[in-house]
Amino acid sequence: MNDILVQTSWWVPCYGLLGALLTLPWSMGLVKRSGPRPAAYFNILMTVASLIHGTLVFRATWHQEPVQLVFHWLKVADFDLTFLVEISSTTTGVMELVTSLSFVAQIFALGYMEKDFALARFFGLMGFFEAAMSGLAISNSLFLSYALLEMLTLSTYLLVGFWYAQPLVVTAARDAFLTKRVGDILLLMGVVTLSVLAGSLNFPDLYDWAETATLTPLVATLLGLALIAGPSGKCAQFPFHLWLDEAMEGPNPASILRNSVVVSSGAYFLIKLQPILNLSPVALTTLIVIGSITAIGESLVAIAQIDIKRALSHSTSAYLGLVFIAVGMQWTNVAFLLLFTHAIAKALIFMSVGGLIITTNTQDLTEYGGLWSRMPATTSSFVVGASALVGLFPLGCFWAFERGLDIYWYDQPLLAAIVLTVNLLTAINLTRIFRLVFLGASQPKTRRAPEVPWPMAVPMVSMIIVTLLSPLMMMRLSLLPNLASLNRSAAAALVLSGIIGCSIGATLSLNRSMARPIQKQLRVLQDILAYDFYIDRLYRVTVVFVVASLSKITAWIDRYIVDGLVNAIGLASVLSGESLKYSASGQSQFYMLTILIGVGILGLLFTWTLC
Amino acid sequence: MLSILLWIPLIGAIAIALWPNFQSGRQVKQFSLVVSVLALVWTAVIGSQFDIAIAGSQFQETIPWLDSLGLRYQVGIDGLSFPLVALNSLLTCIAIYSTDDDLERPRFYYSLMLLLNFGVVGAFLAENMLLFFLFFEIELIPLYLLIGIWGGARRGYAATKFLIYTAVSGIAILGSFLGLVWLSGADSFVYQPDLAHSLSLTQQVVLLGGLLLGFGIKIPLVPLHTWLPDAHVEASTPVSVLLAGVLLKLGTYGLLRFGVGLFPEAWAVLAPWLASWAVVSVLYGAFTAIAQTDMKKMVAFSSVGHMGFILLAAAAATPLSLVAVELQMVSHGLISALLFLLVGVVYKKTGTRDLTILRGLLNPERGLPVIGSLMVLGVMASAGIPGMVGFISEFLVFRASFTAFPVQTLLCMVGTGLTAVYFLLLVNQAFFGRLTTRADGKVVTLPPVAWSDRYPGILLALLVVLFGLQPSWITGWTEASITQLAKTAATPVAVLAPNAAAAVLGQSSIPS
Repeated sequence: MNDILVQTSWWVPCYGLLGALLTLPWSMGLVKRSGPRPAAYFNILMTVASLIHGTLVFRATWHQEPVQLVFHWLKVADFDLTFLVEISSTTTGVMELVTSLSFVAQIFALGYMEKDFALARFFGLMGFFEAAMSGLAISNSLFLSYALLEMLTLSTYLLVGFWYAQPLVVTAARDAFLTKRVGDILLLMGVVTLSVLAGSLNFPDLYDWAETATLTPLVATLLGLALIAGPSGKCAQFPFHLWLDEAMEGPNPASILRNSVVVSSGAYFLIKLQPILNLSPVALTTLIVIGSITAIGESLVAIAQIDIKRALSHSTSAYLGLVFIAVGMQWTNVAFLLLFTHAIAKALIFMSVGGLIITTNTQDLTEYGGLWSRMPATTSSFVVGASALVGLFPLGCFWAFERGLDIYWYDQPLLAAIVLTVNLLTAINLTRIFRLVFLGASQPKTRRAPEVPWPMAVPMVSMIIVTLLSPLMMMRLSLLPNLASLNRSAAAALVLSGIIGCSIGATLSLNRSMARPIQKQLRVLQDILAYDFYIDRLYRVTVVFVVASLSKITAWIDRYIVDGLVNAIGLASVLSGESLKYSASGQSQFYMLTILIGVGILGLLFTWTLC
Repeated sequence: MLSILLWIPLIGAIAIALWPNFQSGRQVKQFSLVVSVLALVWTAVIGSQFDIAIAGSQFQETIPWLDSLGLRYQVGIDGLSFPLVALNSLLTCIAIYSTDDDLERPRFYYSLMLLLNFGVVGAFLAENMLLFFLFFEIELIPLYLLIGIWGGARRGYAATKFLIYTAVSGIAILGSFLGLVWLSGADSFVYQPDLAHSLSLTQQVVLLGGLLLGFGIKIPLVPLHTWLPDAHVEASTPVSVLLAGVLLKLGTYGLLRFGVGLFPEAWAVLAPWLASWAVVSVLYGAFTAIAQTDMKKMVAFSSVGHMGFILLAAAAATPLSLVAVELQMVSHGLISALLFLLVGVVYKKTGTRDLTILRGLLNPERGLPVIGSLMVLGVMASAGIPGMVGFISEFLVFRASFTAFPVQTLLCMVGTGLTAVYFLLLVNQAFFGRLTTRADGKVVTLPPVAWSDRYPGILLALLVVLFGLQPSWITGWTEASITQLAKTAATPVAVLAPNAAAAVLGQSSIPS
């Protein structure tokens, strides 16, 4: 029985894909009478199927050796492309996390997207999304993982561009796709190079190769940098981080997944790559550097945002920055733990945000206020999610941070300081959001806000329970350190940073109508942070400008030089014919003369070449 | 057996031209559709009896013709030509199916279509160089007329340009063939891989140069490409489908069959230059495409770029890279045909292809949602998103060329990234956004798209996905022949290649 379960475990991602295909009749408009709801139900059903199947596989693999499934896909000449799928308790656990969050997000979407005419398309894309991510979880082949990451790029593009009639959405979808695509192309360069150098694209073979490989430093560095470019794009790390902020224009249920598991899938891939990255110290250092820049920078930027989703999405980048640092330091366990705890906490916070948006029809933080008594479930899910995120003992992220601090405490005090700073800044940001949204006087848009309907409330409340129970789950999975060996000073510093952050956040003056400081320096600082260090403008004057001008130049060359030359030759031949026709005078002497001159020139030429 | 593949379209074309009793254009269309489907079925029959394990040509037929000239009617099919023949038969069906019912001068049009099919199939099947040349030229005439009569506003200019360019290409190819036969002292134009062995390297390079010029025009490679955007823009949709889908493949097929196959040593000498030429083509095509505002022109320039990948892989001339060439040919054929079909539908329904005007075509009630979705799929396939055939073919191209030309390959990969840029611009401009209201304030409601307009696109999209998931269904046909081609042809390159990569990568040996 167990054997069958394990052998068929690759079906789990396929359920999501099947669900996506089943929505086609509705999204293509073939079936109109029933409305789009059946498509959603089919998809949820398929997710439930993958959830059940996944759970059974998870139980079957618990305390078992990992099983490798091999699929021969393409064998051409001397090139053999096989897919390796690893079924172990870790990979199936990750797959379970993905499917269950996808399930919760889909139930949530039933309420959130209720009135959207394109419900079927949305659910189809969600199914596709889920399939790609859960496939990534069990993939043990670089090629397959690359392909699935590209699928994620595509589905991100389509999900962000879901409401494609709005101009901001169109640019957001474009930026999301292109930013990720730049990373993907660099990654593809790395994949192709690895495939040539190592001769295989399965992770176990690559790990073996990486242990013995001798590369010149330059090649190793370039390879390492190419490989981390892909995950940097996926995880919205500096300098590829702009898209995540813009992607918040998309529907919220997709944002739940995007901020929790989609960005994490990039990091998961990075963790898989880690043994290969060891070849290049420069790449590891780069990971730490971009991780640190993103972690601190984005935490600061988050504080200056007035769009609630954007304020939270920047903090997602920051947390993923911490994961990058952990991978760069080769502490993949910390990275894993952080990904897991962050995913659950962020999903919960984004659910609460979804509830806020759907009832108030605004995402502007300055338009909220006084919602705590009106929306108790939403409020408590925000509070629980936020406390899990800032590392409040004993909730999720506390353990991840503690583990990281424990390691960095003595050797890398700077990194420990970064972790504490991020925690502090996040605490400030979350407290600020909490005060703006839930406390204070109610405003026109929040005055009559009711609690969210049950399709949204049920997943929200169940996620609250999951978040509260996550320490217990981690204990069962033996992911937690034993309390006795806890680094007390680190834990104390962590809790203290959270408390300081909360108190700063609580005492910040938040005047809604006059959110601009009067002092000029502060105003400039606020603008720099609010516009994300003006990086989009930097892009515009560099990369975008270069591509645009190159394309204009080549188009000009094509039109006026290449094509112009051809047309000029055509014109010259026509003109010469036109002018020569007047030489047809009828005088035979003239013809004789022409022949004579022609033969003369020919003869000259021949004698020339002969001597 | 094989000749039937030639007879079906030829007899069909003659019948359409001469049969007096056609009542309407619709009837002519149905008749020619039946003929083209027959050809497709016959291709399938041949495919079912085709032995993929045999490397050499199969179903050979020889009839003496003008033996004093060295011209024989000699046809055969192998793994190199079969996928292209199948692609041609399929796309001819699709092109005829998607032609307007109320076309003017239908009998002339459809007989030209079938004649085009005849010429192309003949060129793929010919095993005599002179015969190849004849078919290569035959295909030119119907295409010239198809563009020149049923084209857009500047059809005369475009058709003449196409004619002159292709005539030059024909002369260059013929010159090389004649030179090869005379210099090697062969007594006929029969295709033999070892024909050029007795020639000096200089002679080989010169003759190969002629072929490169000739086929480079057909492919087309920058800077010999300017006929293509004009021809595409002016040609009607079905003609564009055939032009991009099949006719360009004649050029790459010729390069593979005659360039790699006949002049291996010269090929090895020129290969680094060819790879660099490929980079120029890829990047030039991509950058120019970004600046286009006409959808069709954009797709045409993307063709220029994507055909550059084929040159890159052909330059490497390893077994893997040549399989990649074949796969990329088929994948480009399917994808570009799909894109041209969809652009055609958009043009038919909106009356424009101008990206500065079109907006919001995905609108589910008043726009073209299904066509838009297919377009998204098509451009993603072209940009090399996995799950579709464009990805695996490009991946193989890069993987195979990297061993020989690492730098050029990396530069070509930048080209795939740029593909995403211009096609995203296309989708974002034309399909996303709000469906514009007209100047007089009225709501634009586009005429509904009939399902018959969608079927060809859906079929091609399915094939693109199917072969993307199972690329071995194409590579399987072609592998045996390609391996032999690579073996007989490219021994010098194979020795040279790992060293080149090793020099750059600083590694002593590379398993490939």
